[in-house]
Amino acid sequence: MKRLPVFFLAILTAIVIGTAVGAGSLLADKVLDKAVDNSTGSELVIYGAVDRETIKSVFSAFLERHPQIALKYREFNSLDLYQYFLEHPDERPDLMLSSAMDLQFKLVNDGYAQRYSSEHTDRLPTRSKWRDELFGYAVEPIVIAINTDLLAGAPLPQSREQLLALIRNKDHLLDEKIGLPDIKSTGIGYLTWSYDSQLSRTYERLLEAFGIHHSRLYSDTRSMLRALTRGEIFIAYNALGSYTQAWSQEHPWIVPVLPTDYTTIVLRTAFIPKASRNPAEAKTFLDFLLSDIGQQLLTEHSSLIPVSGGPGNDSGSPTLFGASHSLLRPIPLGLELLLQTDTAKRQLLFDEWDSAMPHLSK
Amino acid sequence: MTRANPSIRRQLLWMTLLVLIVINGFVAWSANLYANRAARLSYDRLLLGSVLQIAENINSLDGNIVIDLPRSAFETLAMAPSDRAFYSIIGPDQHVLSGYTDLPDIPFDDLDQVRDQGGQITPFFYNGVYRGEEVRFLGVNKQLIDSNSSSDIYIVVGQTLSARQELAKETNWFVLRFVMLFFAVTLLLLMFGIWRVLRPLQRLRKAIDERSALELKPLILPVPKEITPLVNAINRSNTQLNSTLERLKRFTSEAAHQIRTPLAGLSSQAQNALDEKDETQRQQQLSHIVECSNLLRETVNQLLNQATLAHRFQSQPLKSISLDRLTKEVCRDLVVWALQKGVEIEYSGKVEVEIDGDDFALKQMIRNIIENAVNYSSRQSVVEVSLHVEHGKSRDEVVLRVKDQGIGVSDEEKQHIFERFYRSPNSQQPGTGIGLAIAKEVAEHHHASFRLRDNTPRGLIVEVVFPPVEVTAS
Ligand SMILES: Nc1ncnc2c1ncn2[C@@H]1O[C@H](COP(=O)(O)OP(=O)(O)OP(=O)(O)O)[C@@H](O)[C@H]1O
Ligand SMILES: [Mg+2]
Repeated sequence: MKRLPVFFLAILTAIVIGTAVGAGSLLADKVLDKAVDNSTGSELVIYGAVDRETIKSVFSAFLERHPQIALKYREFNSLDLYQYFLEHPDERPDLMLSSAMDLQFKLVNDGYAQRYSSEHTDRLPTRSKWRDELFGYAVEPIVIAINTDLLAGAPLPQSREQLLALIRNKDHLLDEKIGLPDIKSTGIGYLTWSYDSQLSRTYERLLEAFGIHHSRLYSDTRSMLRALTRGEIFIAYNALGSYTQAWSQEHPWIVPVLPTDYTTIVLRTAFIPKASRNPAEAKTFLDFLLSDIGQQLLTEHSSLIPVSGGPGNDSGSPTLFGASHSLLRPIPLGLELLLQTDTAKRQLLFDEWDSAMPHLSK
Repeated sequence: MTRANPSIRRQLLWMTLLVLIVINGFVAWSANLYANRAARLSYDRLLLGSVLQIAENINSLDGNIVIDLPRSAFETLAMAPSDRAFYSIIGPDQHVLSGYTDLPDIPFDDLDQVRDQGGQITPFFYNGVYRGEEVRFLGVNKQLIDSNSSSDIYIVVGQTLSARQELAKETNWFVLRFVMLFFAVTLLLLMFGIWRVLRPLQRLRKAIDERSALELKPLILPVPKEITPLVNAINRSNTQLNSTLERLKRFTSEAAHQIRTPLAGLSSQAQNALDEKDETQRQQQLSHIVECSNLLRETVNQLLNQATLAHRFQSQPLKSISLDRLTKEVCRDLVVWALQKGVEIEYSGKVEVEIDGDDFALKQMIRNIIENAVNYSSRQSVVEVSLHVEHGKSRDEVVLRVKDQGIGVSDEEKQHIFERFYRSPNSQQPGTGIGLAIAKEVAEHHHASFRLRDNTPRGLIVEVVFPPVEVTAS
């Protein structure tokens, strides 16, 4: 009874707002200034592709412990972060946080990161760090978010196969009602989509289905979820699991699905650039982020899933990994990621994408 | 002390240790070489694998070059888990098609030279420094053949070296641990071996230690061939010592007997003289006592002489001595004493002879022989002393000859007169019977021998034959 009005409302909103949101908004240049500063105070500049709301609790807990540090956080879209880092060699931050593993990895492989090891980094499992330069601090399952209003009694699809069946079933109902991250403008979108292309047997059919139904593109998960709530779309493919999980708690008719054929797992990573002006503060923060307290804050006050299964971390990745181990496919933090950054490969993928979605190139 | 007497055990240990260290050092060195080579080969192979996979996925399609890098190429590279990797795919005009645009010093000429012929891709490895780290590069030249044209594509893949170094270190460490174990085990075995080899020596020492001071029986021990001569030498010296000891024992008991008898005689004669009332009888007895005690003194003197000689033989080294000068000296010493007995001593030496000997002992010997000759001659006779060289069949001999015209010695007595305390029963002269025994000992010490012959018409010829020495005719 309740689902129907929301569904219509969603369609309505979608028509009104249209593709305006789809263009992808740049979230950079919002500097978080904390009122601190005694004269001896030091500075810590963090660039990140992490939602400010998400990481806020960690920042404030850190600042409570280190009141002499003035923390400046600048938020970017993950691809912009990468490009900004390369294009502004004089403005390198002290710490880089991003969920676009491939771009982070490329920067580290190209020698922009400095080595660091401490008891906290040593605790990380080997698959969660590289060369003591790049450190995973949270894991992120990639999910399909579905507005259950769409189902109308039909069972929730559990795999990509079932998603395709659902799309086939609903057919025109889903025209322009499927949301995807824009692989050309978002780092994480490209990363997950290219991983799908390597791994999935359903990739071609998905691409075809997404093209036929004139899918919409979004610059990040949050805007995709907003569109989902508004009824602008019914299905959001490759959404970040943590945000979706949090979102569905407020909006119970939005349900995250961890596809049972495989669920991609992305690492949120951090590294300290060689050009960091405050490496000591950056290391302090990194240690705090990886410490039990930092990881616990990630779990409790944000929807992020901590990377380390340390003591007191019963929720988060251990449970997630323990639940259905076989279906989880963590993107390996290693040289394989270079493939994702290859321009020729990128172009091939874009070509396929463009030819499948002619409605976008207009 | 230990420096003067180096221990065989320690020397053996040092030697084996040295050999072991040299061998193991060499093994460790070659292990290092091998480890580095093995690591280089295995990771070069990975690099090659990755390049070949990339090369396979570059194709020419309608004049366009299509690069579809395979994931497996990077998975291969990722087998070096913490090494950075770089790659570049370069078109015919040396324009980078994909990958890193600034790889250093790509040796296009070399790559052209090893260009693939008939689909066979030849790798070209080189090292370079890129982005602050040493990198192992592998380049190939792949020819893309289209329907009507062909073009050269260059593929370069590089990787940093830490996995190689890690593998080399690991292999090396593995071998080193083995070498150390080998070292310890061989050292232990060798120590055991040395202990085993030296054990007979230890046993020998113990066997000798355990014997009482006077036990001189030959040692009978199972010992290795190399030590048998040592045991034999010990046994031989023991036998000699034993016979010396035997002789000494006999000598002591004989001497005691010889002294005890005249002493008893003396004491009873003195007693008689005390009891004697008749003055002339007592005078006679007393003079007899004096005679006896003189003889006794003579005996003791001779015994002491002999003891002195025995001591000299052991302690005094032989010196070069002129035998002719020595003989003349003795004659000169005795000539007055002989004249009192009415005997003339004549020396007729024709040669000068140098021998290695003990002058005191030799003098004693010559004096005893000449004294005998004088003592057992009648008045108005001559004792001829001469020194000459006899040319024998095989060798020359120096002969000292003393010729007298006295009572002579019968043939069966000749074999006894050298015995200690032996005196001819028909000799009227007082004497102790030690003189010739001493002379014989001295002669033996100088490797000389005695010859006795009868003189004509009467008397004795005593000859001492010395082994051949340098002789100058005078
Ligand atoms: N030239 C000689 N002519 C005859 N008999 C001799 C001659 N030399 C030695 N003898 C005999 O050999 C014996 C042993 O001689 P030896 O010189 O050893 O003893 P000794 O002359 O009796 O005493 P002494 O020790 O005082 O010389 C003598 O007693 C003597 O009978
Ligand atoms: Mg005599």
